[in-house]
Amino acid sequence: MNDWLIFSSNAFITAFALYCASFIAYAIAVAGKRWSNREPAAHTARWGRIAFITALLGWAAHLTFFFTRWIGGGHIPTSNMYEFMTFLAMAIMFAFIVVYLIYRNTLLGAFTLPLVIIIIAYASVFPSQVQPLIPALNYVWLKIHVTTAALGEAFFAVGFAAALIQLIRVVDLTTTDKAGVRARRWTEFCLVIIIIIIGFLAAVFIFRGAGYHAEFRQESVLIDQQGQAQTSVKEVKYGLPPIVKPYNSDVISMQPFMGLQQPLFEAPSWMNGVNAGRKLNTVIWSVISGLVLYGLMRLIARKPLVAVIHPHLTDIDPDDLEEISYRAIAIGFPIFTLGALIFAMIWAEIAWSRFWGWDPKEVWALVTFLFYSVYLHLRLSRGWQGTRSAWLAVIGFLVVMFTLIGVNLVIAGLHSYAGV
Amino acid sequence: MIENSKCECGHQNPVGTVLCESCGKPLFEDSQNDADTPLEMRYDGVARRSQKEDPAIIDRIWSFFSSVKIAIILIFLTLVGASLGTIFVQESTLINLKTTEEFADYYEETYGTAGLIYHALGLSRTYESWWFVGLLVMIGTSLVICSLDRVLPLYRALSKQQIRKHLQFITRQQVVYTGRIEQEPEAWVAAAAQQLKRKRYRVWQEGSALLAEKNRFSRWGPYINHIGLIVFLLAVLARGIPGWHMDQYVSLYEGEREPIPGTNYYVQSDKFNLQLYKDEELADNQKGTNVVKLYETKAKLFECIDVCDDPTKEPVLRQVQQHAIHVNSPLQYKGLKLYQNSYRQHIRLISVHPSLMDTATGKSFGSFDLMMDNPKLTYDVGPYKIRLSDYYPDFGFDDQKRPMTKSREPNNPAFIFRVSGPGITGEEVYSYFPLPNASSKDFQESLNAAFKEAGANTGRFTFKVANMFQQGKMEGVKYSEFSTFLNVRVDRAMPYIWVGAAISMIGLIMGFYWQHRRIWLRIDDGMLSLGAHTNKNSYGLRADVASTLGKTGITVTPKELDNRRNVR
Ligand code: HEM
Repeated sequence: MNDWLIFSSNAFITAFALYCASFIAYAIAVAGKRWSNREPAAHTARWGRIAFITALLGWAAHLTFFFTRWIGGGHIPTSNMYEFMTFLAMAIMFAFIVVYLIYRNTLLGAFTLPLVIIIIAYASVFPSQVQPLIPALNYVWLKIHVTTAALGEAFFAVGFAAALIQLIRVVDLTTTDKAGVRARRWTEFCLVIIIIIIGFLAAVFIFRGAGYHAEFRQESVLIDQQGQAQTSVKEVKYGLPPIVKPYNSDVISMQPFMGLQQPLFEAPSWMNGVNAGRKLNTVIWSVISGLVLYGLMRLIARKPLVAVIHPHLTDIDPDDLEEISYRAIAIGFPIFTLGALIFAMIWAEIAWSRFWGWDPKEVWALVTFLFYSVYLHLRLSRGWQGTRSAWLAVIGFLVVMFTLIGVNLVIAGLHSYAGV
Repeated sequence: MIENSKCECGHQNPVGTVLCESCGKPLFEDSQNDADTPLEMRYDGVARRSQKEDPAIIDRIWSFFSSVKIAIILIFLTLVGASLGTIFVQESTLINLKTTEEFADYYEETYGTAGLIYHALGLSRTYESWWFVGLLVMIGTSLVICSLDRVLPLYRALSKQQIRKHLQFITRQQVVYTGRIEQEPEAWVAAAAQQLKRKRYRVWQEGSALLAEKNRFSRWGPYINHIGLIVFLLAVLARGIPGWHMDQYVSLYEGEREPIPGTNYYVQSDKFNLQLYKDEELADNQKGTNVVKLYETKAKLFECIDVCDDPTKEPVLRQVQQHAIHVNSPLQYKGLKLYQNSYRQHIRLISVHPSLMDTATGKSFGSFDLMMDNPKLTYDVGPYKIRLSDYYPDFGFDDQKRPMTKSREPNNPAFIFRVSGPGITGEEVYSYFPLPNASSKDFQESLNAAFKEAGANTGRFTFKVANMFQQGKMEGVKYSEFSTFLNVRVDRAMPYIWVGAAISMIGLIMGFYWQHRRIWLRIDDGMLSLGAHTNKNSYGLRADVASTLGKTGITVTPKELDNRRNVR
């Protein structure tokens, strides 16, 4: 590793630490309003400022990471999953700063920073070493395409954060009518999903820290394009204790974990894709550790998380949140269209000889675009503003995340960014 | 429903008008019911073509396609359809399969029952299916009709705006202020006008009434975007016009020249070049694997200028273009593009340069060039004449143990020569297998022995490449190490696609990064009524109004101006 890259990875750690600090400051700004002998508005303003400045410093460190890695690695760091995800986090911070400067809303920081932190942590799951470019990626339009698409998605992310606050803000903790209870449940469910993602990260990093590994030999039968069956034997490595082992596989080595000597189940036969067994195992671990985490939080709080957060949000109008969410999406939509569709088409035309090929990643970029156009058109009619539109903003971000990560995990296509 | 669309101000409005075109007063009873709620300001309440009193069939179709609700449904169905197509691979990516049964088998074997169902439902061809294309066409129709339906009325409404609006119109906007003015009305209005101009509003004043407006052009953004989308969709459809779209693959070994079907062009690969990353360039988890750094085909494009259609004669070619084709750099010539698609590492003989030798002494009588494709039929070597009597490019035996060729590729070429000349009575027959491997040497020897037994030769001659291996290199043999696959494309719709995309982008930027803002105010008996409207970013509008009022002596926070909030 050359000096630039060493410097770069230090800058990355600094950025991460500053983001965490900023998040804590935001949490104090929002949650500490009612602490004794404080004037709430002054408290929020003071800590909000501290938090924002910390976030800015973090972003500066993040930019430093980006550019030094660019110099050290010899190409723009957006060419594998680690680099792309860290870039996305950086773009989200940029979008946040832009939207914050328009609306000066402290809550937005309190919700965007954890999102950024989660994405950076997720990026760190992937190998972080600089990899040389394969021919298809070695092109200027690709850089333009990836960066603008990520920037558009970053604004959608900020729109999502604002929409989530809005949803928590508008839940009625007292009603018992059906619609009210349903809204409460679904909002809580959103939080549970986020905690499951945190659970996934916790599991990965704890077991990685402990040096856990297990290995399997899997025999798989593939039908090639001539329709011939081909058997192949592959080794599958696990970083998490195998609750599920790959379909049709034998243990090569496995450290016991809390009495787990042997995998408990075998993945079903239809899960025969590349590393499908490991992915299933990871999902199971994420759900388990997420639910454990959630259970602990419930135990400490003794009420739903929505009810914990909701009281801190009462001094902001849902309309303001709705406006922020919509505005962020409205800023992001043209950027996304330009980056994820038009630039993508220009590049595909040059690299793959066709501007559009219905590759899964392309299709999902289109689906994202169509989804947000549905969102925008629905907002033209009045019944779809407010809470419904907030739900759409939340679902829209799920679509974005599926396009970025889900497609790679579940569907493989030409966009063969590094596997998980 | 018969409506009286004449307003109290005397203006006769078209049927379907919501807000009087002239003074802005709400025309419907029911919209006056909840007299506090903000008005529906879309298209300023003017009538659209789709709102007719007694619609004929054409009007019904028109209003179907002009409905935003229908548009949303269409877009949503397209979205769902498109995502269904990504569940399993599409047939179009399986280039080796042809028939429906082959596809059905593939889906069943690969994905089980779900795959079979997927294929049976036609989802394996989602994007070419009638329903998917139909949805796109319907969206296109809807785009055309909805734009026509709205853009003219909106244009009319915005180009003839009255300055003094009905009080109800003003007090039911999304941003509202009412309060006493101490100053002389006209002077106050003039001061406010001054402030608004400073914020780059265009201002019209009529006594104590005022209209301020900015960024009207951004209202055309969505329509320009829609026009761009229409152009784009039309361009996509235009690819169906014969000759507008071509998509073919050509496979070439190094040195090979092939015609491009359906055109007057020939393409030749001079050399294929593959570079791998060195181990020290790779990340730790990649070391020891072959990561490709670059692959390119040094290609030449020829145009046929004479004898193009006579298969018995060689065409006359002229080189028109030369380019090293690699992944992000196609060869281009007059709308024809050749892309690097993929490659195959595969040794293929091109020619050998064997000698005719005396078996006993090993002395060479001379040598000749032997092509694997279209070899010449006669050769003069030293004093001898050699005639090619049979050629099997891919030598093998059929069921009855007769020699035959398995394909036209020179995978295991075999030549049968007849030699005549001094000291030979008639002709002697020899076989020659140029591939330097043991099995073809065996074949060559046993066949020649069989010929000798039958009396067809005396064993005097041997065909062989002299000194084939020299310092680790092969001499006297030309071969290609790689076959390259090129994708040949013509796409005459591309310029229109880019134009459509560009128009769309301009529209999006206009519509989203600027907002149309309007402020109406009037003073009646010292009472100021102010209403303001924008199609988005009412936050910015409230800030504008609050700061204007502030500069004219009325302190008010932006939040207090929000009429929507006050209602809730
Ligand atoms: C994929 C196709 C489409 C896309 C990407 C698209 C995009 C957009 C966008 C970005 C806006 C601006 C929204 C806003 O200002 O908040 C808009 C507005 C609009 N769209 Fe579409 N649209 C599409 C199809 C359609 C169709 C088929 C219709 C037909 C009814 C339609 C009707 C409208 C209308 C009426 C507006 C409002 C115009 C105005 O504000 O004056 N759109 N569209």
